[in-house]
Amino acid sequence: MSEQQTRPTPLTPPTRRSRPLNRRNVLTRSSRFGPNMTPMVDVTLVILIFFMASASIAGHEWFLRAQLPEVQDPDLVSSGFSLPTPMLSAELFVRDGAVYVRGFGDAPRPIGAVIEQIRNMDDELAAGLILGIRAGDDVPYSAVVSLHDAAAFREMRVAIR
Amino acid sequence: MRNRSIISGEGAGARINVTPMIDVVMVLIVFYLLVGQLAIDRKASIDLPISAIGIDETQESDPIVVGITQSGSLTINGVDFDADRFVGEIEGMHARSPNTPIRIRAHRDAPFGHIRPVMHQLRDIGISGVELVTERGS
Repeated sequence: MSEQQTRPTPLTPPTRRSRPLNRRNVLTRSSRFGPNMTPMVDVTLVILIFFMASASIAGHEWFLRAQLPEVQDPDLVSSGFSLPTPMLSAELFVRDGAVYVRGFGDAPRPIGAVIEQIRNMDDELAAGLILGIRAGDDVPYSAVVSLHDAAAFREMRVAIR
Repeated sequence: MRNRSIISGEGAGARINVTPMIDVVMVLIVFYLLVGQLAIDRKASIDLPISAIGIDETQESDPIVVGITQSGSLTINGVDFDADRFVGEIEGMHARSPNTPIRIRAHRDAPFGHIRPVMHQLRDIGISGVELVTERGS
């Protein structure tokens, strides 16, 4: 760099050009111009990933379809019944703290055995059947859903009474 | 002029303009915030029963969500209703949009004695089927 460039004459007013034009210095200054966005981008991306993960966790739900027949008691059906007569009927009740099912076999059976029986049914036999579920007041809702789940697994339609 | 052109960006072609990216990211965050808030409104803290099979939710459907807690408290789309107002509210909603599905989110340990009356009330106002929300399980 020449001495003339670094030392302007006293008559010349100071200008930008009077300062040394070093390309590297200009680039460095320009890169520091304005706020540093990097931390903000980092935080923003972390928040975004958090919300995406939360949304995916909250989405682990699905549903089972159940019909609500118009007539509660199938024994009283003679006319006006909106559904075909269920070919299977299950009545859930609680005995000694366990849930039993009446309607599958001669004697009431534990719900676990009935679920296994439904799951092991022949596909052709089960498909298209309607399972009518009736449950006592003290039967936990999860037991009703378990039976419904097994029936849906075999592509049965389910009506809850 | 050379100095100005470098500062204005012509000479700094290697720098990445992050402004559009931040715009997009901010829009996504706002979207997820809103969706999360709606999801919280709809999904009160209820332990759902588990099922190995089910039907996935579709984005098109905007169901009426009936919540039933273990103690039998009722909600519609996250808003508490007592048993007397529940029927009228559901009936009004169903009359306004009869094709809207009704989805029941009931606590897994709730006795069925709390759920059956709700189903019977729904049936009595002309609803022939409901969707029982469950948690994915094996």
